[in-house]
Amino acid sequence: MEMDPLEVFEVEMPGEGYGADKYREIIMDILQDLGLIRSIGRLYVYVNIERPYFAVFGMIRGKLPPLKVEEVGDLVAAEGGYQITVEDEEHMAGLIRALWGAYGREKVEQPDRNVLVVLSEESPGGLVVADLETEFRRDLLDALVRIAPEGFRNRRNEMAKDNFFFLAAEETITPEIIAEAKERLGGMRDA
Amino acid sequence: MLDPVMFTGGVYKHDLVTELIEDLGGYLLQKNVTQSEVILLMLVPHEDMPALEAMTKELKGKLERAPLAGTEIAVVTPTLAIHHLPHPACDVAEYIRRHGAKSNMIGMGRGVAREISQMDEFESALINEHDAVVFTFGNFADCILKKEHLYRTLTVPVIVTGGPEMKKEDLPYAFEYVPNVGRIAHRSRKATEIGSLDNIIAAVGRALDSVRASISKDPLTTTPPRAMEVVREQVPDVTQSLSPLPIALNLNGLRIKLPYDEYAEAVAGVEFDEGVTLGEIAKVMPSRMKNYILVRILPVSETGFVV
Repeated sequence: MEMDPLEVFEVEMPGEGYGADKYREIIMDILQDLGLIRSIGRLYVYVNIERPYFAVFGMIRGKLPPLKVEEVGDLVAAEGGYQITVEDEEHMAGLIRALWGAYGREKVEQPDRNVLVVLSEESPGGLVVADLETEFRRDLLDALVRIAPEGFRNRRNEMAKDNFFFLAAEETITPEIIAEAKERLGGMRDA
Repeated sequence: MLDPVMFTGGVYKHDLVTELIEDLGGYLLQKNVTQSEVILLMLVPHEDMPALEAMTKELKGKLERAPLAGTEIAVVTPTLAIHHLPHPACDVAEYIRRHGAKSNMIGMGRGVAREISQMDEFESALINEHDAVVFTFGNFADCILKKEHLYRTLTVPVIVTGGPEMKKEDLPYAFEYVPNVGRIAHRSRKATEIGSLDNIIAAVGRALDSVRASISKDPLTTTPPRAMEVVREQVPDVTQSLSPLPIALNLNGLRIKLPYDEYAEAVAGVEFDEGVTLGEIAKVMPSRMKNYILVRILPVSETGFVV
């Protein structure tokens, strides 16, 4: 499904109007810090402070393909191998690690800070540097744990292909709480 | 009457200021050297302020009133996790520090959640060693109401901060409640956020005034700055302490950052010009903070004299 980044973002906290506004800010701040806003399409947050629990339902915007060597830098054939010139150093460490793993340390040279030379017959272009999808899921869970109030230490997390459901509560999480949270979040989506 | 002030200026010739303070009979509480700049926290006799102002002008420094100087304030967060730190607790602590107080951050071991939060005897005793305490709570009115048991037993004035507006009568055990702080995930920099920090400073100031008023009903045998000066002279090892503030002042005593077992006797034995020792006019006991020495000066009603 095509979605704009965070095209829907709703926070509902019955009886806690101030808290709802503030949590909106907190969630934005944390998602921004971790660079996740562009990957989330819709986000619904429901908090029941009486029970109490904190529930989030989100829809993920499309799947991120794995990052390959040819996308990280400029790949040109050089004498005896291939030369990779990297502009953005964010993935440099991952790139070196991937090349070491595939060709061995003695076949990878770094004549300059942003230049790598691979002594190989075949092009390393298709080698996977980073699995962005796994990284995104990890960051997303980290963000949710950070966002939920700290006292809510019992957590449940359901990650699906294109959506996620997160529930945090102070007391033991029972099937009733899960059902109630899902019903409330479902109501927000249908509204 | 001593005025608390903060001098900010270059390191070059700043010893002229410290000498002047000594000559005027004031006290240097803290000296912080940061590269080429120095910050001095001082207590200066009110009538001699013009002399210090003239000196500050000559040295092209800055002189500000530091209303909280000579006090220790605890800033308490429910835990030390990312949910409460660094924002806004560090902002509050830093802001209090800028106004001259020594602020200590305390993260409770089990302060989180509404139903399961608790404070143990050690934590409340540690907080009670301060002059006032600021509790930083979150954005839910319900939680702020239900966390009252955390500070109910404290003997020092408690300033509670949180997000929503609350009625004063709903929090009977708090000295004051400061709204619009709450949990945030960014640094306080908007005018409204800085305004809330100013409100906290004002509330802390009022809390300290209430403590001062209750002390003045039965004054202390000597003033804490004077006791500090005597300890500094007669227990010179304290100047070797690596703490930024080797002797922290409280409104009713001192915290000396030396090991209790080794130095308690020496501290109790320091002698005033009048012939009495500190041990005779104050309780010298181990502090809950590390193994420091806590000195609590006795009131006139217990000693019967003033030095």
